[in-house]
Amino acid sequence: MDEKHFQKIVDALAELKDTSELMLDLAYSSIILNSSELAREVQELEEHIDDLHTRFELLVLSSGFSPEESRDFLGLIRLGVVTEEIADAAAKMGEIVLRGLKPHPILKLAVEEAEETVASAKVSEKSILNGKTIKEARIADETGMWILVIRRGKRWIRPKPTTRIKAGDILIASGYAEGEEDFKRLVSGSQN
Amino acid sequence: MGALEEIQYKPIPVRTLLVEMKDLSELMIDLAYSSALFHNTDLARDVLELEKKVDNLALLLKMNVMIAARDAKDAKDLLGVSLVSSAADEISDAAADIAYIVLHGIGIHPAVREAFKRVEEQLGRFIVKRDSILSGKSLRELRLASRIGVDIIAIRRGNEWIINPKGRDRILEGDILIVRGTSLGIEELGRLAEGNLRKLED
Repeated sequence: MDEKHFQKIVDALAELKDTSELMLDLAYSSIILNSSELAREVQELEEHIDDLHTRFELLVLSSGFSPEESRDFLGLIRLGVVTEEIADAAAKMGEIVLRGLKPHPILKLAVEEAEETVASAKVSEKSILNGKTIKEARIADETGMWILVIRRGKRWIRPKPTTRIKAGDILIASGYAEGEEDFKRLVSGSQN
Repeated sequence: MGALEEIQYKPIPVRTLLVEMKDLSELMIDLAYSSALFHNTDLARDVLELEKKVDNLALLLKMNVMIAARDAKDAKDLLGVSLVSSAADEISDAAADIAYIVLHGIGIHPAVREAFKRVEEQLGRFIVKRDSILSGKSLRELRLASRIGVDIIAIRRGNEWIINPKGRDRILEGDILIVRGTSLGIEELGRLAEGNLRKLED
């Protein structure tokens, strides 16, 4: 396998893992916020990950490996299947809101009480995040919470490192419950 | 496959069961990926143990949900709870599939290690050296998640594993820490464990 082919496999696997976990977080967010937009985003990602998974499997199978290497390549295929299973589980949770089931209070409480949780907060004028890019804001390093999506007016924006945060944006993030307060303080600008 | 445990009904709040299932299923995924990344069969075996636990929790939850529903409206309201529980169960099954790869000598291709350097949430494994300021401190005191965006998912001490350590658990010299977090945070934790970095900033 040449270097270029190897890198393609690496990229595809990393994207599969990130996407499957993003879907889980978005699915939990859709439940907590009772948001059909977020739930639809999960369904769209489900279609995207299906394509990605097929591409990944074709890349792996076209690597031209020897019989001795086949176990390593089987491992790759199996890991790809795992990300697909996680994505399916997320899609199932995303369906709850789309099928018009109003999330039961128990569900909301359970997601909020869990060690990894999702939270949303509105960026105020005085927040130090106002005007910074996602990369400059270093929110994950500061709070242990990752920005999943940004709601700006009626639009949903998937953050890139260069995306600039503006006052009025609603940031939806997932991470360790321990960092939730710090996250809310940072976004609302209420810290001293 | 080992013998299945007999299932006994216990009146546990559905919410408690659901929180535990969510926490365990997500922890299992990270532990399972760690077991693959660090070639660790002990971690993989723990994942399989946890999988049995999640299976039992899922059955208990089903029983409690059935008892809670008195009419068609209740049943519809609780359907979401049931769906989330089965999703958590599927996630734990996925983690067990990774553990199976590790335990049955299916290879971990070098591309896996490379891919894990690119993903958003990274995993790390560090030994706590004598000079480390982490040594002797409880997780509550350290507040690693909010300070550097890192969460300790398991501690290896001698022959024992502490899986999903809580706030009162302490880090000791010689511990092996399995952690996840941002790449910057992981790097910082590595220096803290090594004793090269002697200060934790807020």
